[in-house]
Amino acid sequence: MKKIMHIMLLSCLKATELIEKKYHFHLSIIEKLQLKTHKIICKPCNEYDKQSKIIENSITRNQKNKSMNFDIEQLKKQIITKLETLDV
Amino acid sequence: MNNKFLEELVSKHSEELLKWAFHKTSSISMAEDLVQDSFLAAAEKISSFKKESSAKTWIFSILNHKIIDFYRKRASQHISLENDYLSTFFDEDGSWLQEKLPKQWQDEESHLLDNKDFQAILEKCMDALPPKWNTCVKLKYLSEKKGQEICQEIGISPTNFWQVVHRAKLQLRDCIEKKWNQDN
Repeated sequence: MKKIMHIMLLSCLKATELIEKKYHFHLSIIEKLQLKTHKIICKPCNEYDKQSKIIENSITRNQKNKSMNFDIEQLKKQIITKLETLDV
Repeated sequence: MNNKFLEELVSKHSEELLKWAFHKTSSISMAEDLVQDSFLAAAEKISSFKKESSAKTWIFSILNHKIIDFYRKRASQHISLENDYLSTFFDEDGSWLQEKLPKQWQDEESHLLDNKDFQAILEKCMDALPPKWNTCVKLKYLSEKKGQEICQEIGISPTNFWQVVHRAKLQLRDCIEKKWNQDN
């Protein structure tokens, strides 16, 4: 029974793979259908899908808010010193 | 004369170059190294600079090459896609292992996005990823590029790419869930 279900409706391994794939590439109509049905009958994977989306959104937001602290003058000096030793 | 020209480039464009490199790598020290390397490379091939093109465009294109090289190197270092790893999450039929079943999280998405503790946990868990996975995940969010383009840039196949992302995400989610449910 489990085996038949996996072929028709994907295993959890395959389902989570498709959940991640859909962020980067288009899914085929069959893949979409399989995933949708799988999520209806599998609560953990449905949960995974939600959480995966939260992680996606958090990372995007997180990276955008990151502030930059640096000493640009120090870097300029350092580069110029290095360039001088190169003797071009 | 060349020295003067380079010094001017350094003082005029360093800041913008650094911001760009930081945007692409999300690491200050990495960004500083890349900017410095770009100027050193510029010094070496100063003869290839054509007067009619803009100096800014020239130095930016050198930096962009450096950034791509950086990711390419990192991507080729660790190609660990053993299926062993997946067996820590799924049984041989591909069903979730009992102890790895995704549990419900305490809060709604909108709350989590604004929650500092949650963000801190996410950051920690991202740092704990193996380098190559980390590269793939970061490259995706930082550059806002499509999967296809990223694969071309770092020289891996699309299948390889989303399989890496899949593994990275499984680990990330698991790590976040452990820490988050523990603290709350």
